[in-house]
Amino acid sequence: MDSMNKVSLAQSRIQAIGMPRRNNELWTFFPVAKIPAASATNFATDSATASDAVSIPSTFEISAEKDFAALLPIAKNAHTMVRNIADGESEMALIKANNDFGHTVLNIGKNARVSLEILDNKVIHELAAERFDVCVDEGADVEIFFANPANELPLRFRHFRIVQAANSTVRFSSIERGNGISRVSIDDFLRGSGARFEMRTLNILNGDSSSHHRLTIYHEAPETTSVQFARNLLDGHANASYDGSVIVNPDCTKTYSSQLVNTILLSEDSSVSVKPVLKIYHDDVECTHGNTCGELDADQMFYLVSRGIPPESAKKMLIRSFAKELFYPLPDSPAKKRLLQVLE
Amino acid sequence: MLSIKDLKASIEDGTQILKGINLEVKPGEVHAIMGPNGSGKSTLSKVIMGHPAYHVDGGSVELDGKNLLEMEISERANSGLFISTQYPTEIPGVNNVEFLKMALNSKRNYLGFPEIGDDEFKKLCEEKMELLEMDDRYRDRGVNEGYSGGEKKRNEILQMAILDPKVSFLDETDSGLDIDALRIVANGINHIMSPEKAVILVTHYQRLLDYIKPTYVHVLRHGKIILSGGPELALKLEEQGYDWIEEK
Repeated sequence: MDSMNKVSLAQSRIQAIGMPRRNNELWTFFPVAKIPAASATNFATDSATASDAVSIPSTFEISAEKDFAALLPIAKNAHTMVRNIADGESEMALIKANNDFGHTVLNIGKNARVSLEILDNKVIHELAAERFDVCVDEGADVEIFFANPANELPLRFRHFRIVQAANSTVRFSSIERGNGISRVSIDDFLRGSGARFEMRTLNILNGDSSSHHRLTIYHEAPETTSVQFARNLLDGHANASYDGSVIVNPDCTKTYSSQLVNTILLSEDSSVSVKPVLKIYHDDVECTHGNTCGELDADQMFYLVSRGIPPESAKKMLIRSFAKELFYPLPDSPAKKRLLQVLE
Repeated sequence: MLSIKDLKASIEDGTQILKGINLEVKPGEVHAIMGPNGSGKSTLSKVIMGHPAYHVDGGSVELDGKNLLEMEISERANSGLFISTQYPTEIPGVNNVEFLKMALNSKRNYLGFPEIGDDEFKKLCEEKMELLEMDDRYRDRGVNEGYSGGEKKRNEILQMAILDPKVSFLDETDSGLDIDALRIVANGINHIMSPEKAVILVTHYQRLLDYIKPTYVHVLRHGKIILSGGPELALKLEEQGYDWIEEK
C-alpha cells in the first residue's frame, strides 16, 4: 500500500462510517458534539502532499477499521515514524509528536526489552490525534506510558493497535490530568500463547475536563492474560468513561481476563460511566469485571484526623495514596519511576 | 484532666448507645473499663474523639478545662487525646513512617513548635520501635496494611509513643496479642505512662491488668457506668462475670 493510497483509503473510510455519534457503540460516552467537524474532515489540502513512504504493518486494515480516531491521523496524512527494535535489544525511547497528527509504527523483535514514553505535543490547536501501531514479537517485554501534564489541549485522541505474539508482555500505564477532552482507544490482539496485556490508567480531572477510554482486548490464543485497571479521581464537573470489551475466541483455553474500575467522586457534579463487555466463546476461562464508585473512605479519613492531621491534609494523603497504589504493582522500571514521581 | 459528664450519644437511626456516662480521670491514673459486649465501651472512645457516625445528645467532655465536643477531630487529637480502636483501619498507599511524621508535625504545628527535623524524627522513631520490639518492616508498609491483628495493635502503641498524648483511650488493645506481644505492648504503655498522663483501657480480661495496674475499674453496661471500684473489682468480674451486678 503506498502512502497516498492509505491516506485516501482512510479518508474514504471516514466518509463511509461518518462522524462519531453517540449511537455508535465506540463513542457512547464521548461528547461527540465537541469534535470540530469542519477541521476533522477537511482533507482537501492535507492529502495534497504525500506522506513519507513507509511499510504499513500487515495487521493494519484500514478498510475494516471502525474507529474514527484510529483513521483520523492517517486521513490527515500524518507523518509516519517507523522504529524497528531488533531481536534481543533493550531500548528506552521517547516519542513526541511535532504536529497535531502523528503516526508511529513500532516493530519490536523477539525477546526485546522496550520502555517507551509518549510525550505531549504542547502546541495548542483545536484537535490532535495520534495513532500507534505496535507489533510485539515472541517473548518481548514492552512498557508504554505517558503522564500528560495539565495542559490546555482542547481535544486529543490517542489510538493504539497492538498485536502480540507468544509469551510477549505489554504494560500500558498512563495518567491523564488534562484540562481538555481526551480519548484513548486501544485494540490489543493477543495472538500467541502466553501473551499478556496489562493496563493501568489514572484520571485526575477537574473543571470541565473529560477523559474517555475505549478498549477491546482480543484473546485469540490459549493461555493469554489481560488485566485492565482504571482509577478515577474526579472533581468539579469532570467526567470520565471506561468502555472495556474482552473477546475470548473459541479454543482459547486458560484465558484470564480482569477489569476493575475504581472511582472517587470528589464533587457533586463529577460523573463516571463504565461499560464492561465480555464476549466469551470458550468455557475454560476466568474473566472478571468490577466497578466501584464512591467518596473518600470515611474510616480512613477519621483515622488520619484522629491522629491530629488536619482534614485537608488527610484528604490529600488519601487521594495521593489512591492514585499511587495503582502503580505500585508495576515492576521497577522507568514507567513506575516516572508515574510515581508525577504523583508526588 | 479528662472530665466526662452525663454524656449521651446515639447513632444515625436514633438509637441511644451512651445513656449518661460520668467519668473523672486525673493525671497519673489508669482507668480500666470492662463490660459485656454491646455495652457502649467502643462507642465511648469514638464519641469522645468525634466520630461522625455518632451524635452527641447531651453532656460534656473536657480535657484540661477545654470543651472537646466543640473541637474538630484533629484539634482534639492535637490537644492531647489519643484513641486506639479495636480494629485499626488499614490505609494502603500511605507510608507508615511518613504518616507518623505528618501526625507529629501536625501536633507540633498546633502547639506552636517547629516541625521536627528528619534526623530527630528518625532517632525518635527508632527509640520507640525498639521499645516495642518492632522491626523495619513497619517503616515501608502502608498504615496497618497487611498487618496481623497483633501487629496493628503494636503499631497503635507506636503512634501513642510518638504522639505523646495526655490521655490515651485504648480499646481492647490486648485482643489479638499472643503472650509475648501482650507483655511487649503492656511494657510499652507502662513506659509511655507518666504522672502527667492518663490511660483508659477497655478490656474484657484481667490478663492485661496483670501488666498495667489500674487505679480504678469501671463496669459499663447498657450505656452507663454502673459500678466503679479498685483493681480487686476486675478480679471479681473475671471470677463471677457481670450478672451479680445490680443496675441502679
